[in-house]
Amino acid sequence: MLDSSAILPVLLLLLLAFGALRRLPMLDLFLAGAKHGLRVAVEVLPNLAAMMCAISLMRASGLMDALCTACAPVMQFLGLPAQVAPLAFLRPISGSASLALLEELLNAYGPDSRVGLVASVIMGSSETVFYTVCVYMSGLQHRKTGYAVPCALAGALASMWLAGVLF
Amino acid sequence: MLEAALQGTAEAIALIVNLGAGYLFFCGMLEIVQALNVPMALVKRFGGGLKRLMPGIRSQQTLNAVALNLSANMLGLGNAATPMGMEAMRLMEAERQSRPEVAHDMYMLLVLNATSIQLLPTTVLALRVAAGSAAPNAVILPTLLCTAVSTACGALLAAAMRKAARHA
Repeated sequence: MLDSSAILPVLLLLLLAFGALRRLPMLDLFLAGAKHGLRVAVEVLPNLAAMMCAISLMRASGLMDALCTACAPVMQFLGLPAQVAPLAFLRPISGSASLALLEELLNAYGPDSRVGLVASVIMGSSETVFYTVCVYMSGLQHRKTGYAVPCALAGALASMWLAGVLF
Repeated sequence: MLEAALQGTAEAIALIVNLGAGYLFFCGMLEIVQALNVPMALVKRFGGGLKRLMPGIRSQQTLNAVALNLSANMLGLGNAATPMGMEAMRLMEAERQSRPEVAHDMYMLLVLNATSIQLLPTTVLALRVAAGSAAPNAVILPTLLCTAVSTACGALLAAAMRKAARHA
């Protein structure tokens, strides 16, 4: 398997080394960024609460299992575990909902299980296609998106398939 | 029923504690990335290739906005990338008044941004650490590979559509 354990520490060390070389006020910069991160966390919480409520209800009512069972043939065709079907489906639509689903999968099956690994890669390698396109078009007069959305979705599908191949 | 709903909300609060740790740490580090002018350095290095992906753009200002948007997105600087991308879209719309083919370059920018070109999946890493993973970083390279494939597929399809539209 691809070994990526050294990438993050090396990148962070390089960053700190270059910062020190340029004599940047690194603590001040870090604090300013972290403050922004805190604001993001506070803003995301209500969305997350709503989505996790919905997911919890779907789980309790059996709807989630029914959905997984219904999607099982498609997932099998793509070579993906059936449990990631809701994540694959919601990922292009809602960032908070897919985040909530990923957390659930990681806790239910373990972050190092096949389900956990595939779900992590799907979450990290795709984007909320519909939301992104909406935001980028929002300032414009002509809001035609042409073939942009189908092309982006096809790309997302290809990466999901690859995630199943890699793990 | 009520139990399930409240349990979901409680889980959201627990989740935000884990996510928040990642947000604070990575946003702090990314502020240093920005102060080092890394996005601009990326633009200088890779800006040339953009002209082939978006051949309709003539103005250097537009190309710079596109390049800054993409490089900020690659580094995970979402809050810097989005306004820059919207600015790029506005500039391209202005160019489209005189040359309608710029619409294809706008679609290309949408595809590139909507197929996720982020190099480090920081949020996923934070969640994996919180879930007690023995190897949280094990997903970095596979994620990078999948991201590259999704962007390449999206961009290739968009380029094919552009060609098809020209011959139609």
